[in-house]
This record gives sequence, structure tokens and C-alpha cells, in this order.
Amino acid sequence: MQEILTRLGRHSLLRGASLLLTVLIAIYLTVVIANWGGAMDDARRAQIRFDVTQQIYANPEYFQLPQSELQRLVDERSEAQIRIEGLDRPFIERSLRYTRNAITLNLGRSEHIMGDTGSRMVRNILLDRLPSTLLLIATAELLLFFLALFGALFLSRRYGSFLDRLTIGLAPTSAAPAWFYGLFLILIFAAVLRVLPWGGMTEAPPPRDTLGYALSLLRHLILPVSAVIIGAIFSSIYSWRTFFLMYSSEDYVELAKAKGLSSRAIERRYILRPTMPPILTSFLLMLITMWMGAIVLETVFNWPGIGRLYYQAIQVYDTPIIVGVVVIFGYLLAVTVFLLDFMYAALDPRVRLSMGGGRR
Amino acid sequence: MKQKSEPATHGRPSPARTAGPILRVEDLSLYFRASVGIVRAVERVSFELERGRSLTIVGESGCGKTSLARAILRLLPRNIDTYRGRVFLNGTDVMKLSDERFRQDIRWKQMSLVSQAAMNSLNPVVKVGQQVAEPLLLDHHMSKEKAFTRAREVFQTVGIPSDFLNRYAFELSGGMRQRTILAMALVTSPSLVILDEPTSALDVLTQANIMNTLKGIKQELGLSFVLITHDIATSSELADEVLCMYAGQLVEHSKAERFYREPLHPYARKLMASVPTLRVDKKPEFITGQPPSLLNPPTGCRFAARCDKRFDRCQEEPPLFQHGDETVKCWLYENA
Repeated sequence: MQEILTRLGRHSLLRGASLLLTVLIAIYLTVVIANWGGAMDDARRAQIRFDVTQQIYANPEYFQLPQSELQRLVDERSEAQIRIEGLDRPFIERSLRYTRNAITLNLGRSEHIMGDTGSRMVRNILLDRLPSTLLLIATAELLLFFLALFGALFLSRRYGSFLDRLTIGLAPTSAAPAWFYGLFLILIFAAVLRVLPWGGMTEAPPPRDTLGYALSLLRHLILPVSAVIIGAIFSSIYSWRTFFLMYSSEDYVELAKAKGLSSRAIERRYILRPTMPPILTSFLLMLITMWMGAIVLETVFNWPGIGRLYYQAIQVYDTPIIVGVVVIFGYLLAVTVFLLDFMYAALDPRVRLSMGGGRR
Repeated sequence: MKQKSEPATHGRPSPARTAGPILRVEDLSLYFRASVGIVRAVERVSFELERGRSLTIVGESGCGKTSLARAILRLLPRNIDTYRGRVFLNGTDVMKLSDERFRQDIRWKQMSLVSQAAMNSLNPVVKVGQQVAEPLLLDHHMSKEKAFTRAREVFQTVGIPSDFLNRYAFELSGGMRQRTILAMALVTSPSLVILDEPTSALDVLTQANIMNTLKGIKQELGLSFVLITHDIATSSELADEVLCMYAGQLVEHSKAERFYREPLHPYARKLMASVPTLRVDKKPEFITGQPPSLLNPPTGCRFAARCDKRFDRCQEEPPLFQHGDETVKCWLYENA
């Protein structure tokens, strides 16, 4: 047991380190791209020079000074400002510094967008918005996972039935993204039936008591969560049911049956357990696209998460916010992969063995 | 009916438990539905097996050997068309039991299966010890501790170090996996073990090893075996009796001494002649033609088309003739 834990620990560390490296590279690339490969810094230098020149030439104290002296002052002060901002260093050093700032979300002040609390610090704005996104996506994905899992298990027992064929027929509906169904849901339940809110996270103003707040939140969660589920459930059930069918024709399932195990025990230990790794993989792929899907979904449902923030930031070219959101998405992806990788190892001894290296 | 009230005792099966044969099969048929029609995999097979003896079922691929085993074990696929006949195990007609009763009282309590240990006869994500002890833990018949002690015992019986209990299937070699499956079949001390091609995925040395183990177990525990194989040479090691199948039907049921020396049915003779031997200088023969399709088997004797001894009677289907101790489905023995 101890050895397994040690191995799991070592594996997690290795995995975590390699994921971190991936995220670092991704963020570095983002920084370089956002800087247009240093062109933005050149522009910034020119901007500083322009501002300083304006300041000096507009300053009445310097009216008497000769032209050469003025020019010297301009040079001196711009150089000082450029040095303060670190723009005199080579680009490679600057980009590394920006990357360090980005991964610590130390991105200074936003250019246009103000956070819900009135703060203009990029870090505060991002961290204010993050929980809403996590709440929405985690709720939707967890529900989707268990619904699809039990749906798939149910259908694998009723192979060829009407429900089975119906699900297969509906599987192509998952080609459309969640927000597409979101539009219809809003149309039906908010515009026509008027039973559920159009969007947002709570009523405005938010209820003051905890219970009221929770209920309001729940009511606002129904439509976006349903949109996510409708957008993915049929193809998930379809593909997972196929996994179950494939794995339930394995020889060991037949042998388990011959052993006199009850069908519940067979299903749990001989079908569900061995099928979990491929199911988790397909779920992981779905989750990764879901984080990206949050951008439009949150915009459609007016959900105050980082997806919508990203959309707003792009509209007004708020570079620090854009970089910040990309960094957060990078972290989310890494954490998702890490968690599922960990579960994968816990479920499949073959993975467990290959990852730690060496036999027990 | 005595066994019904007896929840897995896991002691040795006492031969005196019930008088009479351990297994009697009467008119057992199993037909499958396929897209092109009905496949008659097993057709009206009858035989008896005395307690403590072992029966080998031989025949070429597709002759219904495995389907016969499946029919006895009631391990049926979805596309069953006909499944009828009577199977008496220790005197009880198990075909009359409900699925649930069959599961609880027959499977692994009285009858167990050793399947071919290809890569996937063991669950890849459950430790083999757990899988071997599992039948004992069913319905909480036994404490976990006792079950694992028993599992360790059977691991020793089949020749696996007992620390292998904590391994996974992928950490075992093919031979070890086969032994594990054998251990699994013995763990509840059933009175009948059905072995379905237990050695065909293994190399010759391992095959011989497993066969020796089986022989040892048979002598020591006094079990009854039904061994299904197409490997006639290896099967001779273990057989007391041989049942030869052709195109879904039983064609000969003989004592082993007779069958391996001089079988009665022309098909069985051809089959034996196709086995290469080491000491006797003879050329292995082959059987011309193909076995008939089980979709639409010919009327009359099914082997007639490939038989060099056929005569007019062969257009009618022969019944089973008694010839001394042997049973044979061939007109040649009508007056014998």
C-alpha cells in the first residue's frame, strides 16, 4: 500500500512537472504573440518618447532653454523611463519577465475593463470571475458525466431496443455546440413560457439571505446547464454504450457469469471497472472543448465568468485581460488533465505500473 | 435435489453424495439464429459420464464442441433459437431450474468452467487472487480471510506461488494465467469441471505441464472432467472416455483405450489417422472435402459425402448403435 502511494506520489510529481512545463511554453508563446514579437515594446518606447517630448516642450519652465539642451533633456528622461519599465533589456529577457508576471497573474492594471468590485487590477478581475465559470462548468460536466454513464449502462443492457436506436439517431445533435441549444432554451423557457430567467447568475439585486441566494443561483443555473447537457449527452451515451457493449463481450465477463456472479456484480466489477479508462479519456476530451465553449456559452447566458470576460476584453483590445484569461484557461486545462490522469492511474493497474517505473 | 439445500461446502465432493452418473445429457439441442438462417450447433446429443471419470470431446473446429459445453453450462449468447433437452447433474435435471436458481445452486457450486486462457479470460483491473476467491465470497458464504486461505491452497494445488494472488493478469505469463483459471475452477471444489480448450493458446511445453497438473488433480481430488479439445494427441493424456462430434452431432462415444487405438466411426478413424505419431511409422492422412454447413445440414448421414465406406443406407440418418460398450452413429454397425 505504502509503495503504491509512493509510486502514485512520484508519478503525480512527474506528471505535474511536465504539465507545468507545457503550460509555461503555452504562456510564453501567448506572451510573444501578444507582444507581436517585440513590436509592441517598440511602440511603447516610441510612446514614451512622444509623451516625454510633449511634456518637456509644453513645460513653461523650459521655454528659455536652447534646442540642443531640450533634446538632451528629452533623451535623458525617455531613457530613464524606458529603463524603469525595463524596455532597454533584450527582448528575450523581457519576454521571460512578462511570462513570469503572466503565470503569477501579476499583470498590473487592465486598460479598459473594470471588475465587479470596482478594482482595475487584472488579477482581482480574473479571480472575481473565475468561481462563476467553475461553478457553471463543473455542475454541468458532473451532471453530464453521471447521466451519460448511467444512460450508457442502461442502454448497453437493452441493445437494439427502441430507446437504443433513438439515442443513436439523436447522437448527431451533439455536433452543434451548447450555446446553440442555449438560444433555443432561452427562447422557449424565458421568452415564451417566462418560467426561467433569461440569463445572469442571480436576480438583480442578489437576494441577501444565503438560502434565497442559493435558490436564485439554482434557477439561473438550469438553462445553461441544460444547454451543456443537451449539447453533448446523446453522443456520449452512444459512444460509451458502445464501449460497454465491447467490453461486455470479453471472455472474462463470460467467465464471471459462469462463476455464478450476480448480474449486478458482473456489471460493476467486470464491465464498469475495465471500461472506465476509455470512458474517462473521452470525457477528458469533452471537458477540454467545454472550457473553450465557455466563452460563447457565458456570453449567450450573460454569465459573469471568465469566458464572457474574455469576449469583452477582445472587443476593447484589453491585452492584459486577454493574456490573463489565456493563462487561466491554461491552468484549467492542466488541472483537468492532471486530475483525470490521476484517476486513470487509480483505475487501471497497467497504467499504474508503467508510470511509476519498476515492479513492486 | 439434495445439493440444492447445500450451500457451498467446499469440502471434497463425496462420491456417495448421489448414486448414478454425475452427468447425464439427453437429447440436448442448441440452435442459433443467424442472419442467413438457423445454425444447428448442437443437435440431439446424449451421453452419460460416471463419477470420477473424465470425458474428452473431440472434433474439428465448428463441430459444436464448445456449443455443447455452453449448453451444459447454460452460457448462452443472445441469438438463441432452440435450447432444449435434459441435463442431469448429480441426478437433478438442471434444465428445469430457473436462471436464478441455476446461478446460485449450480454455477461453480457443482460445475465449473476452465476457459481458454487467451489474453482476456481474466479481468485486467482486478487482482487474480480476488478473482479466484470471488466465488467463495458470493452471497457472503465465507469470510474474506477464509476465502483467501482457500485461494492460496488451490494456487498451491495448481502450482502457482501463493504471492501471485496479489498480481494482476497482465503480470502473469500465459501458462500462469491458465493455471490461475484452473485454480479458479477448483476453488469451490465442484464435482464437475468443464475444460474448454484449456491449452490451445499455449506452447507445447506449457501444454504438457498443464496436462500433468490436470492429471495430478484428477487423481488427487477425484473430480470428473469434461475436456473439450481439437488437440487429439494431448487429450489422450487425460481421457477415460472419448466423445467424438461431427457437424453438431455425436458420432461416437467410446472408452479411451478403444478410441485412441481403433475407433469405430469412419470419421473418427480418419480423425485419428490425421494425427502424426512418433513411434509408429505412418503417414498422417487428411480428410477430403469440408464439413457440411450447420445452416442446412444434409439429410442422411452427415459424414457420407466425405466417407470412403458409404453405401446406400447412408442416405438415411443412422441412429446410435450400441457396439459392445461403445455407441456409434453409423450404419456399418447396424447388425454388429
